[in-house]
Amino acid sequence: MSKNRKLKKDFFEIKWKTDLPYRYSIGKLAVKFFEELKVNKKILGSKCPKCEKVHFPPRAVCADCLVEMKIDDMVELPPKGTLEGFTVVNYPFTDPSTGGIRPFPYGYALFKLDGADTYTMHFVDETDVSKMKIGQRVEAVFSEERKGDLSADIPYFRIIKEEE
Amino acid sequence: MKIPKHDVAVVGIGQTKFRSKRRDVNIPEMIYEAVKMALDDAQLEPKEIDAVIIGNMDHFEGINFSELLCGIEAAPGYLKPVVKVATGGTTGSSLAICGYHNVASGIYNNVLVVGWEKLNEGGATTGIITAFDPVWERPSLAGALGPLALMAGMYSAKYGITPEQAAKVTVKNRSNAANNPFAHLQMPNITIDYVMSSQMISYPLRLHDCCPQSEGACALIYANEQETKKITDNPAWVHAVETAHYYTFGTDDKMFDLPTATIASKKAYKKAGISNPVKDLDVAEIYEPTSWSELSWTEALGFCKPGEGGKLLDEEITQMSGELPVNPSGGVLSTNPIGATALVRVAEAAIQIMGRGEKRQVPDVEKALAMGFGGSLWTEIMILGKNPMR
Repeated sequence: MSKNRKLKKDFFEIKWKTDLPYRYSIGKLAVKFFEELKVNKKILGSKCPKCEKVHFPPRAVCADCLVEMKIDDMVELPPKGTLEGFTVVNYPFTDPSTGGIRPFPYGYALFKLDGADTYTMHFVDETDVSKMKIGQRVEAVFSEERKGDLSADIPYFRIIKEEE
Repeated sequence: MKIPKHDVAVVGIGQTKFRSKRRDVNIPEMIYEAVKMALDDAQLEPKEIDAVIIGNMDHFEGINFSELLCGIEAAPGYLKPVVKVATGGTTGSSLAICGYHNVASGIYNNVLVVGWEKLNEGGATTGIITAFDPVWERPSLAGALGPLALMAGMYSAKYGITPEQAAKVTVKNRSNAANNPFAHLQMPNITIDYVMSSQMISYPLRLHDCCPQSEGACALIYANEQETKKITDNPAWVHAVETAHYYTFGTDDKMFDLPTATIASKKAYKKAGISNPVKDLDVAEIYEPTSWSELSWTEALGFCKPGEGGKLLDEEITQMSGELPVNPSGGVLSTNPIGATALVRVAEAAIQIMGRGEKRQVPDVEKALAMGFGGSLWTEIMILGKNPMR
């Protein structure tokens, strides 16, 4: 405490808060992905026409082949997958998407959707690491009202306790 | 393999004392400290520098176009070519490699490179999140530590590496840091229990399994063989540089055993004539953002077989007294000013070659390895030697 007080005394400080709004173009494949997610609760990846690698999240270019993947190359994936790695984020930081502190602790995992060749990270509905295990099955949980926003429409993946 | 036109040496080194906050200086003032030290070390006037390459992740501090702010006022860029390099965690090693290429190719006789970060002026985790895809990656990404925690967990599950073994890395590196006057976290009396009882930040990473956020700058001057002769009789010669940049998303691959480090180091060893890194290298300064990653990276760099990183440490091979000391400077677990971090690895490797490491000096260093890690699991390697390659 006394150390902090000393710093405040010793240093001249000017404080201000800045709002920096950005708008991103999300790309043709992401537009299709969010349309299908919103209207039909479907999850689409993209399949390289050359090497047939299935990318999820969908990508416009296969990095291995440098070949473009178009909307016709998008394939539906089941909302289930397998947990490959997990953690519980337990530290505060400012979320650049909101400007506020992101709520924590939260479950955060790496998993592979069935039929995909790449991995995905997202929130999981578990904050007790003793209940998580590599190899567990996970399933996407969809919001009833979807608006075309990943974390709003699929707020998290649910760990399937036993194959149900 | 293309043969570079010139042999290139590190002839001047400068670094600030790294701290969590440098409220006494602004960014250009902080950079100037390292630049002035490197110029004085090489006994060069600012006008004698041919070109300047600067490096930092400027949006972490909410600034942009730092060439303007920092390349001219703080570094000797006035009326000279100045470019910026920003490649995430590898920024410092990219800087080192760009500086090397610009001299090795014959474009310039000498180049000054300077990297820095002033992390407490922004938020590193927030800044890191903005470096990733706004739609797919940002929502759940928790900066660098979340993915590093995933990697540590997967590594531990695959090979049975224990939290005790990870804690021993922090103990080794932060006690080494006590011998390095520039290091940020110097903890000569740190214990395994202290590390293992610190707060769980992101399972299995505890607070003291993680690198700090540091403020500071590091500068190096490279020169070709003719200029080097005029400047010093104790340079550190570059023997090999190698870069392996991987996929775009960290999740494109299983992300725990850093394949880029294996790819880049194998190529670099071949160029530098190294067949057995533990025997042929005398010291390594590697980029370990967490205690767990040092164990994993030592495997990826071929210091031991996959899964034997814990054993390598337990056998004390990477200790100061071991066959291949790793991070005598204290490493990234002690000091992490992002844009300078990997350049500090090169600077410390050069200091070891020059025999100027004082209390952190490893005896008789002929060959040293420096590693940068960052981006989306990217690796860069530089190997330095006591003598020129030819």
